[in-house]
Amino acid sequence: MQMRGTVAKRFEDDINTDYIIPAALLQESWDKQFFADHAFEGYDPAFGPACRANKESIVVAGDNFGCGSSREQAVYAIKYNNVVAVVAQSFPDIFFRNCLNNGLLPIQITDTSGISIGDELVIDLDSKSLSDRTSGVDYPIVATDAAIELMKKGGFLGFVRDRLRHKLNAQPTRASSQ
Amino acid sequence: MPSATITEKIVSRAMGRKVKAGDLIEALPVDKLYFNEVIGPPAILNFEKDFEDVYTESGKKLQVFNPSRIAFMPDHTVPSCSIKVSQGIRLMSDFAKEQGIAMYKEGDGIEHTIASEEAFVLPGEIAVATDSHTCTQGALGSLAFGIGTTEGENLLATGELYSFTVPETIKFKVSGSFQRGVYAKDLVLHVLGTMGEGGASKRVAEYTGPTIDSLDMDGRFTICNLSVEMSARTAIINPDSKTFAYVSEALSRRKMTMTDEMRGMAAKSDPDAAFSQTVEVDASAVEPTVSLPHSPANAKPVSQVDDPIDTVFLGSCANARESDLTIAAKILKGRKVSPSTNLLVIPASRRVYNWAMDNGLLKIFADAGANIESSNCGPCFGKHMGILAPGDRCLSTSNRNYKGRMGSPEAFIYLGSPAVAAATAIEGRIADPRKYLPAGES
Repeated sequence: MQMRGTVAKRFEDDINTDYIIPAALLQESWDKQFFADHAFEGYDPAFGPACRANKESIVVAGDNFGCGSSREQAVYAIKYNNVVAVVAQSFPDIFFRNCLNNGLLPIQITDTSGISIGDELVIDLDSKSLSDRTSGVDYPIVATDAAIELMKKGGFLGFVRDRLRHKLNAQPTRASSQ
Repeated sequence: MPSATITEKIVSRAMGRKVKAGDLIEALPVDKLYFNEVIGPPAILNFEKDFEDVYTESGKKLQVFNPSRIAFMPDHTVPSCSIKVSQGIRLMSDFAKEQGIAMYKEGDGIEHTIASEEAFVLPGEIAVATDSHTCTQGALGSLAFGIGTTEGENLLATGELYSFTVPETIKFKVSGSFQRGVYAKDLVLHVLGTMGEGGASKRVAEYTGPTIDSLDMDGRFTICNLSVEMSARTAIINPDSKTFAYVSEALSRRKMTMTDEMRGMAAKSDPDAAFSQTVEVDASAVEPTVSLPHSPANAKPVSQVDDPIDTVFLGSCANARESDLTIAAKILKGRKVSPSTNLLVIPASRRVYNWAMDNGLLKIFADAGANIESSNCGPCFGKHMGILAPGDRCLSTSNRNYKGRMGSPEAFIYLGSPAVAAATAIEGRIADPRKYLPAGES
């Protein structure tokens, strides 16, 4: 399975989710697009226009992208600006899982410093490789097989629905209260 | 029997089989799940939208996996600061009533404080909540961490967390006595300064050693709370007699007692368990510490900093329990807040608020010129009660000083202990608390 995109933004290390979407907005909408409209509002207001300029954008960062608060709205803020993947050197767990749950690919490679804005990237989940078609450099993707599976499925929802169905059917009277 | 970390033991207990760090668990049953009013409303709406047809197909009514294992705790911007926030709280409250879930009131406290003070989370349990500072419960010896909205809705349905990798553990072995004027907050800011914002990524930060043993529970909560600022998966402290005394007291407030079953849930790391890294920390070398703008890991001894401060915030899930307010009150007693500075005090729970009132602490703060608010997250969430303007400088006892965290991205936030907060409020600039401590006070 392949995804393609153009690098629209580059960030340094330790970009936290407060930078991605400020807390004051989190309770003001239950609509995911709302958060995309305010992405990086206080930190880098050029983010939205830069990403929306491409049909499929990719964001590149250093270490520890998405640290701090658990707010899933940070993932909506990125994804709904036409972003298909974030390529970084590492991700903290909560943000990584939030990405998996929303079909935004969290792609880890060991060194992102050679990737530039405007580069065309191809992400191949089957061969776990990222190819920078502009520079001609290929990078191995660091990911467990389980994470790759979830990236291909776009999240856990189908699996969770199956689990729930199984649980409900195992309990003839009412839903499990165990 | 191979040895194991407390984390491995807790997950093994939950799974009913032996697991070790690195193992991938398809479905991890969770003991406790709590929601604030930021993520609760969208999680409920998504739960209804994504699962209602599955219940209908099975001839069942929409029902959460187990209401007694779930709690709703509105705390971030309460009393509600906007119409949308009020709508969200109403939605949670209606859902809680319909499903039989415990719904706390606005002002009852910050979720992570309520969860421990109400003995909602117990030692040895797996607890998750829609907030990164859920790691605070690690002070109880529980395995607790933050989740996003989607995991919240999945958990409402099944009580399980999917595709969970048992984390490795980084052990912090802390020894030595604190210098005068040094507290748990100074220690953890110092650790963050050593490790950096990504230093403990994907791993559990386990704190051990004589210094941790000697800390009271409030100090342990502070240390676990801030561990997520080095991107730890969570933090944990092996339960001891102090933990059990704390939990017993919390249970007794609810007219409950600790059962053998509860006690049996508690686990401890074996001395020869496998840790991915061991970091030795000499607590006696730690000075009163502040983290400078704009990173919690930007730690410096307070003696090297004297920047002017407009706002002091004594509050948050990091540092607003009894011992925190006690030390600040000792320093502020009979003194006045600087004319150039606002001091905001927000106790971590209604119980702490009422305790501070009964014991005269609120009067000390009020006499000093503080603003005192009912329990909530306050300006740490950057939405109400003391939002910073461009150029403002704030010293906060909270856990995050990111650019824009408490208002304007052009404001400056410093993190420090309640003692530093009190001394800073008096001087109107970052101040060393040691000169204000009463004689004989450590």
